[in-house]
Amino acid sequence: MLLDFNRLGGVRYFLVIVTGLVLLFLILPIVFIAALSFGSSQWLIFPPPSWTLKWYAELFSDPRWLYTALTSLKIAVIVTVLSVVLGFLASLGLNRGEFAGREQIRALFLTPMILPVIVLAVALYALFLKLGLAGTTAGFVIAHLLVALPFSIISISGALDGFDKSIEDAAILCGASPWEARLKVTVPSIRHGLFTAAVFSFLASWDEVVLAIFMSSPTLQTLPVKIWTTLRQDLTPVVAAVSTILVALTAVLIFTPLVFRKRQKDD
Amino acid sequence: MTRPFLSIQGIRKDYGDFTAIRDVTLDIARGEFMTFLGPSGSGKSTTLYILAGFQDPTEGDVLLDGESLLRMPSHKRNIGMVFQRYTLFPHLSVGENVAFPLRVRRCAKSEIEDRVHAALRLVHLEDLAGRKPALMSGGQQQRVALARALVYDPPLLLMDEPLSALDKKLREELQFEIRRIHQETGVTILYVTHDQEEALRLSDRISVFSQGRIEQIGTGRELYAEPATRFVAGFIGDSNFLAADILSVAENKAKLSICDGIVIDGVPVQGRPAGTGRPTLLLRPERISLSHAREACGMPVTIRDLTFLGNMVEVSSVTDRDEPVKIRIPFGNRIVSELASGDRVWANFDPGSLHAFQD
Repeated sequence: MLLDFNRLGGVRYFLVIVTGLVLLFLILPIVFIAALSFGSSQWLIFPPPSWTLKWYAELFSDPRWLYTALTSLKIAVIVTVLSVVLGFLASLGLNRGEFAGREQIRALFLTPMILPVIVLAVALYALFLKLGLAGTTAGFVIAHLLVALPFSIISISGALDGFDKSIEDAAILCGASPWEARLKVTVPSIRHGLFTAAVFSFLASWDEVVLAIFMSSPTLQTLPVKIWTTLRQDLTPVVAAVSTILVALTAVLIFTPLVFRKRQKDD
Repeated sequence: MTRPFLSIQGIRKDYGDFTAIRDVTLDIARGEFMTFLGPSGSGKSTTLYILAGFQDPTEGDVLLDGESLLRMPSHKRNIGMVFQRYTLFPHLSVGENVAFPLRVRRCAKSEIEDRVHAALRLVHLEDLAGRKPALMSGGQQQRVALARALVYDPPLLLMDEPLSALDKKLREELQFEIRRIHQETGVTILYVTHDQEEALRLSDRISVFSQGRIEQIGTGRELYAEPATRFVAGFIGDSNFLAADILSVAENKAKLSICDGIVIDGVPVQGRPAGTGRPTLLLRPERISLSHAREACGMPVTIRDLTFLGNMVEVSSVTDRDEPVKIRIPFGNRIVSELASGDRVWANFDPGSLHAFQD
């Protein structure tokens, strides 16, 4: 094509340099924090005077870190399952339903993404105090579900848009009951959308901090809240170690679907 | 009279004020290949969807082997269907697609294997059982869809314009395959198309739909030779229509005047005794011959254009009243080389080959 990279002449060096700089800009903070987590300095001096694993040792020897990590994981998993199931059903309704104001309702589903999280957090906190949900796992799950669902609905209803409804009709004519057709044909056909919904729902809960600060109690904390409170008390490289592990896990979650999709295309 | 295999009785479908189909009534024999032919929006697909259970009729009933289909949900009707769009399950291989109807029927594993193999052999795709649908051509996908619709031996197979997305050559190839499969399996087929050539090629009988009604039911030959309405005459084959005035009628034969002062006698007016009035005459392009001199029955026309169509030459001409008349003459006929645009010649025909429509 006329604007192919190879035909750009001098501009392409410029593009390569800009791309490299943007990449550095995005990656450097992560490299920085990873380096600090392996540095020997108690005061987070950069560049580190020497290398050590003692902050990781300290991290793993403190059961509170592991406990909050497990709490985070439990909440994120429940949120993921609920978000994908509810997101699938809501998307089916949005895509297949024939009712007035469908597009308005679709937009309404996305409001949690537009609303400042802090506003949502204050509102939920006030409500949950009344309902006795503040400081409970259920409170956490509901709050995080609120921010996870829009991601779920966007990716699942997008996948449903690209799925021909006649394929479902064909399954039913083949003898499958309507729910059998949805489960055996529709769900596997939009599995990429479901998978993306699951990854983003998990992450929405896993690294969420604003709502979590409001929902947490002295006995129930998620990992981001624990990092936050630890940082407020004293500056320790253990936080850098936790952050590095979090980044690594998130990277795995984000890159798995990419690899998965590439394999699909290669099939 | 024996009970018809499939009996569609007085179906009507309303959408609010709009009536999509009305008075659709027909019987289909076991093993018959019936085609619903008509332009888009004529109600042929709506009728098929009612049989499939995608829509419920406002009135009427459908009996399959004496039992009403309408009370059963779609998935229990045990009907096969091939759709216009490609509807193979994208996540399953060809073999798994064909096995799907048997799996949901909880058939035994060995039985599934045998029947899938037989169904794929029927459509000549037994070598592609492991392939994913996305890697197949449109023609192959429709063959698989056909195998999937037949693998459970449904008594009735519905086909909703299954070839309309394919190019002409492939379409003809698959028409031939469908015909062969119909003969090999003996399944009763209801086929929807807007392509008259496809309908003529495939069907035992054709129902011509127009504006939500069946205009005529008959074999292709009957529809062509004895069209009941002007619509059918225009839809099946090429046709010329001429305005005429009735002079007299005797023993189902009419004496008419056409053009300016040309009188023809012996035009059949079957069924409806057309006393007087101004009927429309149907004249098929291939039933006309051209000559320089006046013959027994004919009218003068002026040549406008000649189009070479391979084995035929199509002559466009007009009568003295400016009514267009299309004429088809076999290539090689001597007169073809003598014709030129602007010539005035005689178009001759047998009055018995005309049809008069009173509408």
